Amino acid sequence: MTSRRAFLGGLAAATALPAPSWADAGHPSHITAARDADGAYALYGLRETGDLAFRVALPSRGHAAAAHPTAPEAVAFARRPGTFALVLDCTDGAVCHRLDAAEGRHFYGHGAFSEDGTRLFTTENEIETGEGLVGIWDRTENYRRVGEFRIGGIGPHEMLRIPGRSTLAVAIGGIRTHPERGRDKLNLDTMRPGLALFTEEGALLDRVEVPAEIHRNSLRHIAAREDGLVACACQWQGDAFDAPPLLALYRESKLDFVEIPGPAHRRMKGYAGSVALHDGGRRVAITSPRGGVVVSVDVDGGYRSAAARPDISGVAAGRGGALTTDGMGAVHRLSGQDETGLEKLAQHRLAFDNHLIRLDVGGGA
Amino acid sequence: MRLKHLTLLACLALPVGAEAGVKEAVEGHILPGVAEFSDKAQSLGAVASEACEGPALEAAYNEAFDAWLGVSHLVFGPVEDLDLTLSFAFWPDPKNQTGKALGRLISAEDPVIEFPIEYAQVSVAAQGFFALERMIYDPPGTGAYACALVAAIAGNLANNAQLVNAGWQDFAFVVTEPGPDNPRFKSEAEAQRALYTSLSTGLEFIHDQRLARPLGTFDRPRPTRAEARRSGRSLRNVEVSLLALKDLASKFSDAPTPRLDAAYAKAFERVAAIDTPDFSGVSNPGQRLRIEALQVDVKEVQIETIEEIGAPMGLSAGFNALDGD
Repeated sequence: MTSRRAFLGGLAAATALPAPSWADAGHPSHITAARDADGAYALYGLRETGDLAFRVALPSRGHAAAAHPTAPEAVAFARRPGTFALVLDCTDGAVCHRLDAAEGRHFYGHGAFSEDGTRLFTTENEIETGEGLVGIWDRTENYRRVGEFRIGGIGPHEMLRIPGRSTLAVAIGGIRTHPERGRDKLNLDTMRPGLALFTEEGALLDRVEVPAEIHRNSLRHIAAREDGLVACACQWQGDAFDAPPLLALYRESKLDFVEIPGPAHRRMKGYAGSVALHDGGRRVAITSPRGGVVVSVDVDGGYRSAAARPDISGVAAGRGGALTTDGMGAVHRLSGQDETGLEKLAQHRLAFDNHLIRLDVGGGA
Repeated sequence: MRLKHLTLLACLALPVGAEAGVKEAVEGHILPGVAEFSDKAQSLGAVASEACEGPALEAAYNEAFDAWLGVSHLVFGPVEDLDLTLSFAFWPDPKNQTGKALGRLISAEDPVIEFPIEYAQVSVAAQGFFALERMIYDPPGTGAYACALVAAIAGNLANNAQLVNAGWQDFAFVVTEPGPDNPRFKSEAEAQRALYTSLSTGLEFIHDQRLARPLGTFDRPRPTRAEARRSGRSLRNVEVSLLALKDLASKFSDAPTPRLDAAYAKAFERVAAIDTPDFSGVSNPGQRLRIEALQVDVKEVQIETIEEIGAPMGLSAGFNALDGD
């Protein structure tokens, strides 16, 4: 934290300041929520080296976060079904704003910024009807809620913006829940998960569904490439021994499921935690915390390898290979060349939460 | 019997404040466990070379299986390094690969069984305890070849068990002497983590596979998915595994674990109340409730393992795996 203090010292001394950037938060390349060894919760910035760049305290267990494209500002969501999100200044840990879900709504724990960084989008549930929505918040007006649009499905989960474009991709989990019933799943027999793409104004661009015969394959987490390819990670809502493929690639308006061979597939236990596109978008890494495994797949060539690591879940593109985080506090780099392709970068006394989010700070991956 | 032996070990380990840790777990749990496994597997191999059916073979089989369950939760070390996990226990087997692989060997009268060393090269589905179970309790064929096949499977299993026991004699030091020059464990914490992961994945296997598989759903119970149902040891596998994991926990954790001990005690009481050793009771509403209750008890054991062993050591396997998102 020396760098932050040094920065703050510099801040006091400076007369004219440029707008703060992510460099002012200790040069993080990624952010993630975690639990400290003493049980406290926080949002952390990570560097490519696996070192910690910053720590911002959270009031309860955090989940995913949305990072502003340029300003050192992150929106941390509570675990679903949460009703609030905090806008954090990652240079000093200040809570700048608190977003409260509208009456009768809750968040799903994920969100994304518009290309110009002026608006935040959040995935939400309309509790009464179970309909999925995307809420729109205006950053230039202190994150006032300025609108919303319906996604035409139930249970939107992760959403992101296609890199370099203003297209929004929304994973549709398909599962109806009600806060009074916790995480109980209320519609497993009729669920229709899929992926929908929208303009930043909410106009539907495309929509694909998981095939009817595997309609219980809840599509939750996604990663995207500049050309619009979206890698989708699913969670099978059925007997883990009957699990269909959990990884799908969306391209040319089609959703293609990717077969991972028997042993690696079985190790995933029907449950994928996170997915990342890396190595210039040529590879996909998909994790299963339940199976303690990360599987590497070539976008064009299929399965490459699987590496074991207990409770591994967070994964995101990084320089020289995807970075992974796990509940045991380790940061690894996935070299992806062989079966044991996890290179340990750092070990922290933390339990990293489900997702690792890469900042949009330049530098291809 | 292995069962009594383990119970005795668990009792001896009870005094609070007893020395416990990585070294104690290796010397008091793992090394005796792999030695016992190797012994019982040698006996099984010897019996099977004399008789391919009958009570003596069944007894030797059950004792060796019990001994395997005393160490099968060790997710690191020789079994993993020699890639023998599936060779010992090819289950779950939803596509009946064991039945098919054995059927192929029998119908071709494949001479591979004549040389024990070569048998290690056949499909892992035709090796280990589940292949042997099929041959003893529900053979896909009989006659001289099938009889010789039983001996080949048991002989290969005995060889592999011996390799594991021998491997642990060296690997024990890798675990108990961590450090910067150690190729596997750079610190005590890494060795602790490996042991803790064995505990947590062992419990998870009981909950998610041994119990969840046959339970299926209330509307569609799946009794034929129970582990080792042909030999009627589905329940016994749960019990013996729980005893082994309790033993590991007591050797490993030096803090008192009153809630974990209570959770184990409750689970063992529940085991005693289940009347269908092959879990066929999952289809009977009354029996099903008891098996479901046992699954809940195992979940309690999982949670208390995290709370009383993992959390105090700063180990938190399951932070994401048990959370779901």
